[in-house]
Amino acid sequence: MTTVDPEARTGDLELAEPQRPAPAGAGLGVAGWLRWIWRQLTSMRTALILLFLLALASVPGSVLPQEGVDPAAVSQYYAAHPSLAPLLNKLSLFSVFAAPWFAAIYLLLFASLAGCVLPRTFRLVGSARQKPPRAPRNLARLPLRASYRSDVPPAEALEAAAKTLRGRRFRVQTGEGWVSAEKGYLREVGNLLFHIALLALLFSIGIGGVFGYKANRLLVVGQTFANTPTDLDVFHPGRLVGPSNLQPFEISLLSFHAQYVTSGPQMDQPITYQAPLSYRSSPGAPVSHYDLTVNHPLVVDNVSVYLIGHGYAPEFTLTDGAGHVQWTGAVPFIPVNQTSLTSEGVLKFPDARPTQLGFAGVFLPTEVDVRGQLQSAFPAALLPRVSLVAYAGNLGMNGPVAQSVYDLDTTDMHRLAVAPRPLAPGASIKLPDGDGTLTFTGYTQWASLAITYDPGQLPALISGFAALAGLILSFMVRRRRFFVRAQAAPDGSTEVTFGGLARSDAAGGLESEFAGLTDALRALHSASPDPASPDPASPDPASPDPVSPDAASSDLGSPVPSGPVPSSPVPSQRGSEQ
Amino acid sequence: MPVNSGLADAANVLLFTTVILYALAMLAYACDFAFARQRVLAGTVRAETVAPASALVAVGAGGPDVPVSASAAPPAAAAGGSAGGPAGGTQSRWPSGVWLRTAFGLTCIGVTCQVLSIIDRGLAEHRVPWGNMYEFLAAITCMAVLVLVAASIRYRAYYMGLFVLLPVVLGLGIDLTVVYTPAGALVPALQSYWIAIHVTAMIVASGLFIFGAVVTTLFLIADRSQRRVAAGRPSFSAGILAHLPGSVVLDRLSYRSILFAFPVWTFGVMAGAIWADHAWGRYWGWDPKETWSFITWVVYAMYLHARATGGWRGRRAAWIHMAAFTCLMFNLIGVNLWISGLHSYAGLPG
Repeated sequence: MTTVDPEARTGDLELAEPQRPAPAGAGLGVAGWLRWIWRQLTSMRTALILLFLLALASVPGSVLPQEGVDPAAVSQYYAAHPSLAPLLNKLSLFSVFAAPWFAAIYLLLFASLAGCVLPRTFRLVGSARQKPPRAPRNLARLPLRASYRSDVPPAEALEAAAKTLRGRRFRVQTGEGWVSAEKGYLREVGNLLFHIALLALLFSIGIGGVFGYKANRLLVVGQTFANTPTDLDVFHPGRLVGPSNLQPFEISLLSFHAQYVTSGPQMDQPITYQAPLSYRSSPGAPVSHYDLTVNHPLVVDNVSVYLIGHGYAPEFTLTDGAGHVQWTGAVPFIPVNQTSLTSEGVLKFPDARPTQLGFAGVFLPTEVDVRGQLQSAFPAALLPRVSLVAYAGNLGMNGPVAQSVYDLDTTDMHRLAVAPRPLAPGASIKLPDGDGTLTFTGYTQWASLAITYDPGQLPALISGFAALAGLILSFMVRRRRFFVRAQAAPDGSTEVTFGGLARSDAAGGLESEFAGLTDALRALHSASPDPASPDPASPDPASPDPVSPDAASSDLGSPVPSGPVPSSPVPSQRGSEQ
Repeated sequence: MPVNSGLADAANVLLFTTVILYALAMLAYACDFAFARQRVLAGTVRAETVAPASALVAVGAGGPDVPVSASAAPPAAAAGGSAGGPAGGTQSRWPSGVWLRTAFGLTCIGVTCQVLSIIDRGLAEHRVPWGNMYEFLAAITCMAVLVLVAASIRYRAYYMGLFVLLPVVLGLGIDLTVVYTPAGALVPALQSYWIAIHVTAMIVASGLFIFGAVVTTLFLIADRSQRRVAAGRPSFSAGILAHLPGSVVLDRLSYRSILFAFPVWTFGVMAGAIWADHAWGRYWGWDPKETWSFITWVVYAMYLHARATGGWRGRRAAWIHMAAFTCLMFNLIGVNLWISGLHSYAGLPG
């Protein structure tokens, strides 16, 4: 065989990353244009640009407050930047990850990915059926090479070599005077698995967005709620979720316990939160108990319930001028300082006589007086106090817009002349004109629960691990070829040449594998080894360096770094270099 | 359980000792560069003997459109003995020369001290010692030095010592002064066995990423210098570069570190998602830290793709690598300091 085997060359040119040309599309008609657009979309350059855009587009999502993460911060931003905020809102910059332009980027990226992955899958199936190419004529030009003399006849030497390579799970082809072997198809399998798993991950996230839901509920100790849209404070259903799709469980908060560091530099820091619950999966079902803590959600009917917040709910009793109890209950106050748990809340009495009453209050778990200013010194309720400002008039609750239970609209109210002194448990405010009293009877606590149902979660997890497995396979496995040639030398011995090349870069190890195989073949052929033959493990000026420093420099896209066959009819050996 | 303050103090003393040992190791690495002339000259001679053949081969393979590999091949061949891989060449995998041995010895003792300091801190706190920024910085610098030691032995990358220890010493200096946080307990959100899985993966990946970024910085300097020399212009970094392998070897070394780091980072992000699902009720919520770890992942993915694509390999891919590392650092420092979110555990006054 005197000419370069064209099959071998094309084989060598098949790249780890496919050659994805993007020819110009002038004057091609509609089909031609579509094909051109498709080629552009699936080219690596476009994929790189889309990846860059995806990263860039995510940045505002971390810098600006996001509707889906912290709606209160968005409102604050509106208040702070009244002219800029509406503009940013128009550009969807407060909900970047739900924005149409963000969706456009990742959908294009995934289309590009699919356009790359599908043809490669077919190619992989095709190449798995093919035998490795013939051995090149001159193995000394391969990046890894070794040669030695043997007394075993050429045919026997080749047969033994083929047997060894087959034993090492290579795909082997033999011919007149040569053996070629290839291994490492798992690399491309891993590469494809990774990319297909990413598509599956996106699909799983989509399932969660369509069939899942998220909700929040603030629950005061002693209260019970049912998992229905009306009983939830916040409810974000997926696109195909209706009220009847909600799992009909009920949950009661039995008590709440928090522990804090009481001294040292970490004072005030929480140690544990515990929210013992009782629940049942449907109104008629038997009651079960669960000790809800952070990191340990309750799972009921495939719905997960999480402990995500807590606070204090001071208890009050309102009596009228005649001493009859008008109202009694606990009012959840919202922490405004997470360290000291100073909390704010409002009380509204629309049925009070002669006028409606409203109170704006601050709850201090451990009250201290810092130069005339009341503060909380510790998050636990060691010295609980409530400070209230009282208003009388029209609460404005009959307006067209529903009022938040945490806001007091004082526009139609006047402040009552009762001192805003802090109340200890049991103390009361006497309303003017003998209209009654408001008593701070004590306090309880509340916990806020997040309720999530996400049927895409398990598929997402499986996709994630499949992607990881694919990634590791494609990084660790190297597609490589080894060739053996044996021919009779003039002196009657057999000259065995052995060469190898990597068709993709990986985490290393080709050199040692080659050295090991060389030793194995030499041992196999060493009926009477020629003592003068060079040791393949050490550099010898008389023969090509068996382990070329270029060997491992073969990049993903340049399988033939040191140009094994310069006389190749193919013009460029770096197929992807364009 | 209360913090064992005796052990916590011992951990601090060990970390101070570590910094001193690293600083001394840097000095010894620098002395190796300055005084170990013999070895460098020998390498140069070898480069000259190998150069003609390699240059021919490289031109044949790369062609004129790939100046990086064409011009880089001879120095790569020269360094092949010291950085080409364990199977190549006859040099021992252990350091040669008294300065290099001293430097490497100090590095090994230093990293042992640092590992002991971290274990000690964990024992003092009765938990995995990565609960705040101070502990996290100590852990990732330790990981970077462990990677340095492994790469030194495995790939004979002893020449990386000075350049990896420089950011490590700076980082530890900042760690001990600006972000120091006394030993203490974890907030409830962090009390989960997932901290050992998620944060450990992030630490291992970050250490590898730091090493890769330092190598790529050197690659960019070497590449620039080689292009200047090839164009007949003076190169200001040629002096120090004479002690380093060529850009091809540096590029390969940094690529290998990313090949290890990227799957670990991917695993870390996934483990974080599982933990987030346990703690916060959703596996992905675009919290700033999550967003930036996603951005970091995407940009490192860009680097891996660029390095596999013609026209992007070499300098362009290296710049993408640096951009990815910048994202990683912003996630570590910027997000902790300037953006509040669910991951605000840095423990910094703020």
